[in-house]
Amino acid sequence: MKDDLKKLYSAIIKEHSATPFHFEKPGKVKNTIKAYNPICGDRFEVYIGSDERMVNALYFHGYGCAISKASTSILVKTLEGKSRKEALELCDQFLRFINKELGSNEVMLSDDFLAFSGVHDFPERYDCVLLSWREMKRFLESGAVATKTRRH
Amino acid sequence: MTLPLKSLKSCFPIFSHRPELVYLDSAATSQKPQSVVRAITDFYEKENANVHRGLYELSTHATQRYEAVRNKVTSLIGASNPKTIAFTKGATESINIIAHGYLKKNLKKGDNVLISVMEHHSNLIPWQQVCEETGATLEVIPVNEDGELVLKKLNTQLNQRTRLVAITHISNVLGAINPVEEIIAAAHKKNIPVLIDGAQSVGHYPIEIKKWDADFLVFSAHKMFGPLGTGVLYCKEEFAAQISPLNYGGGGIKNVELSNTVFLDYPHNLEAGTANIAGVIGLGAAIDFIQQLDMNETTRYTGELSTYFLEGLRSLGNGRRVGNPKNSGSIISFQIGSIHPHDVAGFLASSNIAVRAGHHCAQPLLESMGVPATVRVSFSIYNTRDDVYKTIAALVELKKFWS
Repeated sequence: MKDDLKKLYSAIIKEHSATPFHFEKPGKVKNTIKAYNPICGDRFEVYIGSDERMVNALYFHGYGCAISKASTSILVKTLEGKSRKEALELCDQFLRFINKELGSNEVMLSDDFLAFSGVHDFPERYDCVLLSWREMKRFLESGAVATKTRRH
Repeated sequence: MTLPLKSLKSCFPIFSHRPELVYLDSAATSQKPQSVVRAITDFYEKENANVHRGLYELSTHATQRYEAVRNKVTSLIGASNPKTIAFTKGATESINIIAHGYLKKNLKKGDNVLISVMEHHSNLIPWQQVCEETGATLEVIPVNEDGELVLKKLNTQLNQRTRLVAITHISNVLGAINPVEEIIAAAHKKNIPVLIDGAQSVGHYPIEIKKWDADFLVFSAHKMFGPLGTGVLYCKEEFAAQISPLNYGGGGIKNVELSNTVFLDYPHNLEAGTANIAGVIGLGAAIDFIQQLDMNETTRYTGELSTYFLEGLRSLGNGRRVGNPKNSGSIISFQIGSIHPHDVAGFLASSNIAVRAGHHCAQPLLESMGVPATVRVSFSIYNTRDDVYKTIAALVELKKFWS
């Protein structure tokens, strides 16, 4: 097996795809983010039970390849308990890191994030890595958390 | 002269440029033989001129070569009249011409169009859209768990309000070969015209359009060793006068006044604008290539590769074919345990094995089979047992990696 492929399917990614973090639909959901790739059919729902300032009670469910599943699992694990501002900053950094706009030494990234550096040898898999992150960033930017929370 | 199967790989230049390539995605697009590539470059280098326009020798020659391909297509599909053959951009455009240029004007609220659940999106969406625009409904023939059409209720599904049946000859996902003759006969008993999507079959399987008595046949050159961007619409004589063009422009006309245009007859009325002349000439070269092959021999050969692959898949233990049609071509969809098809395809790609993963533009079929995505291999005449062996060996390694 080639080294680049081993790097793509790093131990962290394999572990997250085999035993994803918070992989269930919780009883109470305030907001649902739908991440869908019509080209391959990967489909995840990320469930949020946040208040105005914090991104809390994150869960997800759905179907996708090992890369998109691990990436969504790491999204949930990473953003859980962060403020909206921090979560948005992390989404932005992750997207820019994958898109090679920022190097690994320019961003405050955890080992979980760096596990995805192997995808740089497989540009056709960028969409798998970014699927849920793009939708989460869009959601956070839309301010939907705050709006929805105010209504409740 | 029949080309010997053993030497066929060498007819396709891509394999001399990329000797390591194991290409198992011919259902998406086939590779092109040297003769087709040469015919296209020769045209541009030595014969380039517009057709149906010039009075000089070069243009007359281009016109003759372009029109001669209608005769070649006629012979390939077992038709008798070259005037039944229109050149299009591909199977998708051909279907859209029938949907919008023929069916829509005959479709009223309460009418229906009968398709099957195994259709490629290109033989589904055009009908779905004209139904939506006119208030007609889409009736659907289901498949069983083996991926075969369930025709028990065909006679009920074909009713007084059915205006067209559109069915694929060979499924691009499961490889199932459909009993098109039986479907056409049943529809014709009720005077319902039938369109056959031959995208996966023309050039690979014997087509006898006259014997089948199909009313329309559509296919693309690029899936049968020809160039991209060229396709065919066959339309039986009795419908020819009822087909309106989708595109209007230069060509395709008898007379133009500011207030009125008189169009040429089918097929020329559909070919407005400068034609893809090199594409059509490339299609002609592809047909010449195909006619040097013994089609019974090639289908037996690709069938053997499929069988060899299925044996290997079974030997893996966790390999499962999706669908198991009794009458099947050289297209196989499968899954490996719970490993996502994209992870399988990505793994194979790193060993230079090109396969397709996803829903293959047939989402309703996959939904009815209860799977979100599959891995698909499709075999052609340039594949070898060694290609199959390498693929199975890579799948064994994949299994180890994910265990």
